[in-house]
Amino acid sequence: MADIPTPFPQPDRDTAKFWEAQNEHRLVFQKCSQCGSIRYLVGPLCPECHSFEHEWAESSGRGTIYSFTTVRHQTHPAFVPPYTVLLVEMEEGPRLVAQLRAPEGTEVVIGAAVHVEWEDHEKQSLPVFELDE
Amino acid sequence: MTIRNKAAIVGIGQTEFSKDSGRSTLHMALESILEALADAGLEPKDVDGVVKMGANDDLYEIDLLRSLNLPNLRFFNEVPHGGGAACGTIASATAAVVSGMAGVVITFRSLNERSERRFGVSTIGGGMTHWRQYYMPHGLVTPAQWVAIFGQRYLHEYGYDTSALGHVSVLTRKHAATNPHAMMYERPVTLEDHQNSRWISEPLRLLDCCLDTDGACAVIVVSAEKAKQLKSTPAYIAAAAQGTGSRAEMMTSYQRESLARLEESEATAAVLYPLAELEPKDIDVAEIYDPFTPMVLMQLEAYGFAERGKSPELFRNGKLELDGETPMNTHGGHLGEGYLHGFGHIVEGVRQIRGTAVNQVPNVKTCLVTSGVGVPTSAMILSKEPY
Repeated sequence: MADIPTPFPQPDRDTAKFWEAQNEHRLVFQKCSQCGSIRYLVGPLCPECHSFEHEWAESSGRGTIYSFTTVRHQTHPAFVPPYTVLLVEMEEGPRLVAQLRAPEGTEVVIGAAVHVEWEDHEKQSLPVFELDE
Repeated sequence: MTIRNKAAIVGIGQTEFSKDSGRSTLHMALESILEALADAGLEPKDVDGVVKMGANDDLYEIDLLRSLNLPNLRFFNEVPHGGGAACGTIASATAAVVSGMAGVVITFRSLNERSERRFGVSTIGGGMTHWRQYYMPHGLVTPAQWVAIFGQRYLHEYGYDTSALGHVSVLTRKHAATNPHAMMYERPVTLEDHQNSRWISEPLRLLDCCLDTDGACAVIVVSAEKAKQLKSTPAYIAAAAQGTGSRAEMMTSYQRESLARLEESEATAAVLYPLAELEPKDIDVAEIYDPFTPMVLMQLEAYGFAERGKSPELFRNGKLELDGETPMNTHGGHLGEGYLHGFGHIVEGVRQIRGTAVNQVPNVKTCLVTSGVGVPTSAMILSKEPY
């Protein structure tokens, strides 16, 4: 497989605070100052009420598995299968993509409760999910 | 004013599909365009419009224009959003010829997607910007993996196992098996073959995924009036439409209410059928964009051939076979003929209307052609006769 560097988020002027918080092991979402809705993906404008104003609200880090895929065919040198990527519906509403951290062979079911843990990488800390006890 | 049957596709061109074309995307685009012009009885000097798909190829339109040396060009346009643009180029060309902004418009697609730039393998790394920053760092890096998230949800919500996906693969490979142009010519598969094929990204197996392909296709669009003066059999454009959905992303619109349906395709259908003054039951042949099997199931529902969650029954009841109610992907589609971003579907749709397809359905009067899914998309209905 070709020599391709590991992907990492490249913060921009819209997303910098989202990623800075993750480097402090905090998951935060934008909350619209006008209508109160949570804005995700991160962006300058509220798609609901078209306000630019927002604050950053801390997530509980808890959610349930909404969908998932277990990757078994390698398509990138940085990601060696098998690994499971979850789409988790967070308590605050947004659905977040991150990998499952669990022993290989752990059964994954839609609806299972999970919580965020953190893994530090060279450029950026990223969340992973663990199944609740 | 309506565009209904006011424009027609009068020329088609297509190179061979292969794993290695041995030539540039520019070279193949020019071959298919010249073939399409000759098919219509036209020459490059007659061309005054070019519409190109925007994303994911290595062809610079300026090189194409210089090569063809088009002295009369006055309409050029590029349609965004990857494979979602395919029928969108026809919609744009239709708008141009119906409004009089152009008389003869080329649209085309040319890819060395197997030998040069595979979509099934991620070729980018390092700092991820825009939507990619949310997915690529977590190992969700290819279309199959993005679509698997939708497919898993469809199977979960409607209680199917992966055989529901397998039937899509079996049908398309059956049609490809009798199409000499297809990558999978004479290579049909069974449901057992599907279930035994290796996992790519669960719930998708190898046989749920389309074929990275080298090749090119081109079509020529003119007004219905001009079509009558040309030697080829026109495929009238009864309707062509574009549509998008809520919280739109490029194949990862995971924030929207349901991941078991395709909002973009539903929005397109809602414009397309009234524009054509037709209903799903009036469609004689359906060429459905098939990058991955779950997207076929959801599109059949979006375009009104089954209620939500019920499309797998269409396969079990034989309704999509060549002798069924609505034969689907008569050429073998992306899963069997080759993946050319929906342009193989467009060319096949024209052939079905002309009566010249290798897997010809008798007495075709109307053909639905759809384009890329999980992105802002497009579709069209071709008609044998203007009405």
